[in-house]
Amino acid sequence: MLGLLELRRRRLQFTLIGLIVTLISYLVAMINGLGLGLNELAGSALRNFDADAIAYAETSGLSVIRSELSQDTIDAILSTPGVREGAPLGYVAANVRYPDGTIDNAAFLGFDPGTIAEPRVVEGRSLEPGERGVMLADRAFLRASGYRLGDTVPVALRLQTREFRIVGVVEEGYFFFQPAVYISRSDWRELRYGQADDAPVASIVLLKGKGLPGTRAPGFEIVDKGTAFANIEGVAGQQSTVSALRAFGYLIGALVVGVFFYVLTLQKVPHIGVLKALGASNSYVFRQLLAQVLTVSVLGLAVALPLALATGRAIQRLPNPVPIAFDTRTVATTAVLLLVASLVGAAFSLRRILGTDPIIALGQQQ
Amino acid sequence: MSVPALEVIELSKTYFGAAEPVEAVKGATFSAAAGEFLAIVGPSGSGKTTLLAMIGGLLSPMSGTVRVDGVAIDRLDARKLAAFRRRRVGFVFQSNNLIPYLTARENLLLMADIGGVDRKTARVRADRLLDELGLAHRANALATELSGGERQRVAIARALMNDPALILVDEPTAALDSARGRQVVESLKAEIKSRNKLGIMVTHDLAMAALTDRILEMHDGVLRELSPTASME
Repeated sequence: MLGLLELRRRRLQFTLIGLIVTLISYLVAMINGLGLGLNELAGSALRNFDADAIAYAETSGLSVIRSELSQDTIDAILSTPGVREGAPLGYVAANVRYPDGTIDNAAFLGFDPGTIAEPRVVEGRSLEPGERGVMLADRAFLRASGYRLGDTVPVALRLQTREFRIVGVVEEGYFFFQPAVYISRSDWRELRYGQADDAPVASIVLLKGKGLPGTRAPGFEIVDKGTAFANIEGVAGQQSTVSALRAFGYLIGALVVGVFFYVLTLQKVPHIGVLKALGASNSYVFRQLLAQVLTVSVLGLAVALPLALATGRAIQRLPNPVPIAFDTRTVATTAVLLLVASLVGAAFSLRRILGTDPIIALGQQQ
Repeated sequence: MSVPALEVIELSKTYFGAAEPVEAVKGATFSAAAGEFLAIVGPSGSGKTTLLAMIGGLLSPMSGTVRVDGVAIDRLDARKLAAFRRRRVGFVFQSNNLIPYLTARENLLLMADIGGVDRKTARVRADRLLDELGLAHRANALATELSGGERQRVAIARALMNDPALILVDEPTAALDSARGRQVVESLKAEIKSRNKLGIMVTHDLAMAALTDRILEMHDGVLRELSPTASME
């Protein structure tokens, strides 16, 4: 009763604290959003693969760039116990000339139509088996390049230029910090290795099945998608930076909220003394503080999280958007962790409450 | 023979500060029955507030015993002492100590909330008390908007909210002029008598003390019965 009444009556004081909580929550939510955005840029296409595990060449060090597989190795991978379904996939980065003449690179993924490596087409059509010279372009690629469905895209690699017509649009995102485009595995092989007959036939193999991650055999090793993602060049360092930023965000949030409520508790020591003299238990007094902390934190989060989502949407509409993304899990985790941080911060005040002697109500020193 | 509402037996308290120890209360002994209104008078520093604090379970005595309705409160732990204060004691403090951002009625409801009284009962009780003390029209005024006399009468109503056996009052008229002070003490006495409570008021004002049934005097920590108040009037 008392805690919530005080909130209503001392509105200015609590509004200021609420503003601080809102700003801290907004900051942490934005850091999380930027972290997730960077993750998506690093390899949302990899995360979106319809696979339980990924097989790499044994000598690749789990690098898609260095992984090269022969048909014999692919056959060995597909015959691994536990494999239910599999599909080879090729990767190469190639330069693309945009309609305005600028040149940028894209991730070309070579797949076989009808396999689990085939992305879901959201507009246009997919590739027909054996069809050459066509591509599925991700929306991120279309947005960055200015190309549209049906356009022909000049692709430069190995001192030659080839053209691919966009027949379908997908929404798989980025691969290795580049927008992804999907071509047939035959086109990919030619793009990457030319006409050489003894060239590798794929970079990796997407696998479905149980108990596959951790399998090592001559010529290949199998890992789960999380490990594969973490091994994308640059991702590990990026992840640790983002994780550190998040941890500091939560820590600073807990400290700021804790310090504010501690100062508030210090100001209220005479009242706490009176409450205890009147017979209020320590738990009663602490419950009043908790009610205030929870109310201020929940209201702060209720303002900060939608604000962060709106900021994210606004940023994505900019001509050169900053990578930022939010998902339900991240938003929920941010909300829960900030609430916990607020409660931990409020716990700083508990000792002061416990230590307040009710005798001060009679104007005597403790 | 019935048990006295309050028994104070050989109660002593010594403060150990930076200088030499100060014996604030030296072997105070007295008893009182329900329905009595006592005054403890004495100059500043005589130990009267320390004695009141020990009776109310706010301070632990060095030696001696305080029994309220036969229960020795000096042996209770902090949690049980809080429960004792919540259920058995009503305090009226010198500076009233109302919560400033609450209204008069909310200050009373707070006491009921602490005491675990259900809201409906508490509202009825608070409104009745405010009415009895002539404060019904000020029920929704914030504590800071009340006059000194009104604040003390709200403090009296708050002390009565949980229907305690013991009403302990510390210098209730210190911040009031004599007319308002007298009004407050008379209101207090009327409530104590009508509810058959035991009231103990600490004061340095002999005129206010004269309104009570008995006067005890503290001087340098020593307590003695002064005289029947009738003889002072």
